[in-house]
Amino acid sequence: METAIQIITYGVIVGAVYGLVAVGLALLLGVMKYLNIAHGTFIMLGGYIAFWLFTLWHIDPFVSIPLVMLGMFIVGLILYRVLLSPLLKSPVGLRIGNSMLITFGLLWVLDNAATWLWTSNVRSITTSYTGEVLNIFGVKLPYTGLAGFGLALLVIFALHLLLTKTYFGKSVRATTQDPEAANLMGINIGRTYLISCGIAIMLAGVAGAVIVSSYSITPAGGLNWLLIAMIVVVLAGEENINGVFAAGLVLGLVEAVSVFVTGASYREVIGLVMFVLVLMFRPQGLFTRRVRGT
Amino acid sequence: MADNWKRFLISGVIVAFFVLLPVVIEMGTDTMNLLVMLFIYIILAQSWNLMGGYTGLFNLGMAAFFGCGALTTHFLWAAGAHFYLAMLAGGIIAVVLAGIIGLPSLRLRGMYFAIGTLALAEALRLTVGNVFPRTIYMPSTYFVDFSLVPRYYLALAVAIIALMTVYIVANSRLGLALLATRDDEEAAQVTGVNIFKYKVIVFAISAFLAGLAGGVYTFYRLSLSPVAQFTPHWTFDPLMATCIGGAGTLTGPILGCVFFVIIQNWFALTLGKAHYIVLGILFILVILFLPGGMVEGVDRIRRFLTRLTGRKPEAKGELY
Repeated sequence: METAIQIITYGVIVGAVYGLVAVGLALLLGVMKYLNIAHGTFIMLGGYIAFWLFTLWHIDPFVSIPLVMLGMFIVGLILYRVLLSPLLKSPVGLRIGNSMLITFGLLWVLDNAATWLWTSNVRSITTSYTGEVLNIFGVKLPYTGLAGFGLALLVIFALHLLLTKTYFGKSVRATTQDPEAANLMGINIGRTYLISCGIAIMLAGVAGAVIVSSYSITPAGGLNWLLIAMIVVVLAGEENINGVFAAGLVLGLVEAVSVFVTGASYREVIGLVMFVLVLMFRPQGLFTRRVRGT
Repeated sequence: MADNWKRFLISGVIVAFFVLLPVVIEMGTDTMNLLVMLFIYIILAQSWNLMGGYTGLFNLGMAAFFGCGALTTHFLWAAGAHFYLAMLAGGIIAVVLAGIIGLPSLRLRGMYFAIGTLALAEALRLTVGNVFPRTIYMPSTYFVDFSLVPRYYLALAVAIIALMTVYIVANSRLGLALLATRDDEEAAQVTGVNIFKYKVIVFAISAFLAGLAGGVYTFYRLSLSPVAQFTPHWTFDPLMATCIGGAGTLTGPILGCVFFVIIQNWFALTLGKAHYIVLGILFILVILFLPGGMVEGVDRIRRFLTRLTGRKPEAKGELY
């Protein structure tokens, strides 16, 4: 019984991080119809910022998150201006393909730049409380994992509020549904795209800061996290940002249970199997309600 | 028609040149290795080109098909099977993998195909790394009479097969259906093209070629580090070579591969590890400013020259 509860808590903690990892990807995909293959690499970049802030100035990773967010937001703005906005001229059908190619190139450049600058060593942050666990009725909860879980909840809740309660959020949702109509209604699409791109990359940075404190990062590790983010987005259903967190939890739980059964060597295969099953039986995603009328 | 004859003649001369090359002159081992890698890249690039260039579906997991072809060939060959049968089996396993990921994802929009192939490649890379952590060797008897020449001819032969396959596919009913799908999927479907069927067929062909490339690589290397075949650079290199050369053309990927192999060697010597960064930036610039790749660049220069000399530009009657 205790083992079962332990597995479930572990799954939930991991799943929350998965949700956090995927939410930036889902935002960019929903709003701009861009598939950002470099998403995992931006997660690594955020992790590296947190890592260097900790190593050089001893700033706790959970304290340095605002700095990481600011830095990554600016990176996102630059990314949009330099690489993504030129693609807007091409028709929507080509757009997603070209965005994949360009961000794939970007992934290659950034991965190798990170290897070149910071070596391919595995980095992680060891704070005074790393490895300490909170023991509730025999169930062990690591502090870093709990903090990551709380942070993920906080970020996703904040994003939800931003999208539903503010004027900017309304323009984001309008642009997601129909960019041309939104433009005709007086929404500045360019600015909406710019800021959503900044927020998406910023969310990747937050995920990176969480990952570097509970797991570890390497320059090549981005692809692994990208894979997780993509599977979560497919599970949640395209353009369904609200479902991302739940989909992350589902993936985390399924992984935790199956790793317990099969052993850790086949962890990634489970994600792949889930991906294929969802595509076969519920391509609209687990958490998407059918839109009435279509 | 005359134009076609000229083209066949040129390709015939080039093929004859490469066939006779090792007979006529003693190439150094370095040149030989370079050429073998060039041929393997051409096979992979054409395989990617079939999907990415002609069909408009981006396969981001070439490494999966290549790696599975390589590993299957290796294990069967080491177990005593005839090499050609082993290579064929490698290709077939790649097709099976393509079925697993292609059948569910090709029904949906192109994005799912890209995610699916990337997920397949990554999942395989991590799993193979966990399951086979050590380098695998062929039995030592295979090393005794190792010579590069048969490797060279095998790579050349498979590269020619790949090129011919792409040529035949592009000039068939299938090729027309693919072009129609790429340019406007809905219109193609409405006109009665069975998009899904054609996509699956071409994906199977593409995966088979990638699997064969894996077989050639096994024959060439004899000892493999299993994970190394699944690293993303096996996806990225052919993708990049194809896009730089010109996706959706027959000559583009060849040009791209030649350029890529030369540049890669040159950069690797002068820039060390930073050469990946330079190549990546070059790739991004090509996608942004010259979407048709080098083939389009050559075309533009030719058109510019004809304008300079004041001749009327020739009407071009070709589609690809």
